Amino acid sequence: MTDYLNARVRGRSESVYTETSTTVASLPSSPFPIPKAPPSALLGAQVGPKVLSNTILKSHGRPPWYGEDGQPISPAFVIGIAGGSSSGKTHVARQIVRSLGSIPTVVIISQDSFYNKLTPAKVALAFASRLDLDHPDSIDMNLFATCLSDLKNLQQTSIPVYSFTLHQRLDETKYLYGATIIIAEGIHALHGPELRELYDLKVFVQADSDLMLARRIARDTKERGRTVDGILEQYLRYVKPSYDNFVLPSSRYADIIVPGQDNAVAIELISTHIRRQLEQRSRHFRRKMAESLKRSLSKGPPRELTIEELGLTVLEQTPQLKGIYTVLRDRTSTRQDFIFFTDRLATLLVERAMEKLPYREVAVETPVGEQCKGKAIDVESLCGVTILRSGGPLEQGLQRVISDVAIGSLLVQSDSKTGEPLLFQVRLPECIRARDRAADTWIGTGAAGFMAIRVLLDHGVNPAHIIFVTFLVAHSGGVAHLRRTFPDVNIVTGAVDDGLREVWLENAERHKVFPDEDGFDHEEQHKAWVIEPGMGQIGDRYYLD
Amino acid sequence: MTSSTTLTNHSAPNMKSDIPPSVFTLRHTAQLEALYTIIRDKNTSRGDFIFYSDRIIRLLVEEGLNHLPVVPKVVETPTGAKYEGVRFEGKICGVSILRAGEAMEQGLREVCRSVRIGKILIQRDEETTRPKLFYSKLPQDIAQRYVLLLDPMLATGGSAMKAVEVIMEHGVPEDRIIFINLVSSPQGLRTFATRYPSLKVVTGWIDEGLNERAYIVPGLGDFGERRYCA
Repeated sequence: MTDYLNARVRGRSESVYTETSTTVASLPSSPFPIPKAPPSALLGAQVGPKVLSNTILKSHGRPPWYGEDGQPISPAFVIGIAGGSSSGKTHVARQIVRSLGSIPTVVIISQDSFYNKLTPAKVALAFASRLDLDHPDSIDMNLFATCLSDLKNLQQTSIPVYSFTLHQRLDETKYLYGATIIIAEGIHALHGPELRELYDLKVFVQADSDLMLARRIARDTKERGRTVDGILEQYLRYVKPSYDNFVLPSSRYADIIVPGQDNAVAIELISTHIRRQLEQRSRHFRRKMAESLKRSLSKGPPRELTIEELGLTVLEQTPQLKGIYTVLRDRTSTRQDFIFFTDRLATLLVERAMEKLPYREVAVETPVGEQCKGKAIDVESLCGVTILRSGGPLEQGLQRVISDVAIGSLLVQSDSKTGEPLLFQVRLPECIRARDRAADTWIGTGAAGFMAIRVLLDHGVNPAHIIFVTFLVAHSGGVAHLRRTFPDVNIVTGAVDDGLREVWLENAERHKVFPDEDGFDHEEQHKAWVIEPGMGQIGDRYYLD
Repeated sequence: MTSSTTLTNHSAPNMKSDIPPSVFTLRHTAQLEALYTIIRDKNTSRGDFIFYSDRIIRLLVEEGLNHLPVVPKVVETPTGAKYEGVRFEGKICGVSILRAGEAMEQGLREVCRSVRIGKILIQRDEETTRPKLFYSKLPQDIAQRYVLLLDPMLATGGSAMKAVEVIMEHGVPEDRIIFINLVSSPQGLRTFATRYPSLKVVTGWIDEGLNERAYIVPGLGDFGERRYCA
């Protein structure tokens, strides 16, 4: 095993800690403890700098990553960092993240998570440190490329989890979604043309062999309690051949070679390059949006769709429903009334949404002893997804109708400057497979709903399995766009308003929750669309006012 | 009761042509049928029985309330626009027939916050075999209110008619009473509606009929028993 632990264990080496701590426990103070176990068993263990191998850093929320047609515009930016073990790859990756600063989401993926599943015989070899885990074949390159490719294409993915205690891949996986920049690091990160194809930037961290060996000896002896002999044996048997035969040759594919030390300038160059690339993409994005707007204008304003064409499922407009809406729309209604009638309406909406599910025939026996034909819901799983904050008021209704439903949430907030939606948090239940419903309320342009549906599609949800439940839509508003873009999504609403009016919103207070490093002007007003006659901001009226 | 081997199809009870005009049912969707399937199933746990019967009761109360009058009301929305809405007109109260009717009270309260609820206990008089009033406690101003009468099962209609009699004795006009139940028999509905033609009945499902012991078939057993004991 040896070096593979060295190079790739960092940050998730609790397993290695366990392994050594049992050995080292008796000699805690000695920097060069004499191991009780065979030396080779200890060689691999080493604690590098504390690094979380798969890190998601989020800052300001994720702006739309899809165009007007609902399709993703540009893939994520992928950086591959290779280099010998102890060359400083992880340090370089972290420094890049740090110097990028305010980029919404960056994820660092370590190739160590992708060790192959081992047979029992190989596990035994691994425990005896007689398994070559420095060879590229020890890594599941296909899975590594698949995960990277999923993330590059903005789809969710599941990263395997490798246990160094058990020397085995675990059944659990780690869920990743929504990164704008992906940094993949590992000694074989540039190995193989398929993998290299995925990178937008290829980096090789170059350090002299003697420096890498020196770092390894220093770390292994001090922090892992290894003997120098053992370290050298392992180094010569596996680490050095692998480096010479596979790792170093892959450096010829790198776009940039970074020194393993004193590399601040190189890192600055890299992050400047990344920032410029992202800016270009964002310009491309805006140009594409502008073009599609121009295209649609040249065709004249889109014909207003009828309610039938919009494919809306609208609650029957009964006297009670009208009465409920009158309370909700009335600006003078008390908060108690608003909450009570919102919950009541939410229950009706969710009951109506349940009718959209498929049902199958069943037969039951009643307590009277009669056989009776009936129906049962015919889905594997069902869950709710709430668009926070304004979708929150629907949750009470959801729970009144489905007792044990898993409820995920998406935190989407409008950018106070541009009014475009920003995705802050994604928490989806594991069952996000069969049926989902996104709950949302007020948003006049439906931009948050649009974004939420895109998130669900990125998770492989069938659009026909999405039931979008909302308190109110504007006839000419975002719902028409939503319908054109996602024709298969079910939309259930309680009322359809005719008007959509552009207003100036004052947002002096509301957005201080998300202070911007750039220090945007909190007093600035921005334009937004509101539904007329509408019912105001449901989230505010339900939770705050 | 011997279980019949033929499966009866209850998917189209609205097709029954002889249902009186004062009787209203819920929209018969696959979903509603699925709810009924759960509460009919004798293997359904008590927790599920309560949860799913509550869902039906809420829908029934919502439907019952739609028969109450509303008056126009114009309000101003937070965006400053005018909305021509309606206001609920008239005070209401619930009256539950003990003890199964009490099971419907929570559903009523979830839709009508803090509504007043009267109680009536009616049992079969062993001498006359006719329903007899044992106890009643009704809101004092019931004569000024619309009454939602709650009893989950309408089999022969005997106790429901007795309850209406009591309520009307307290000064409530017949057309101000709305009777809400989950399951009813066609003959019970006919008897009831013939006696009180202007009293609206909201029922969730009209079943096949009654067996020789006057149980609704296929029915769902003793509602109170399943809700409170089982």
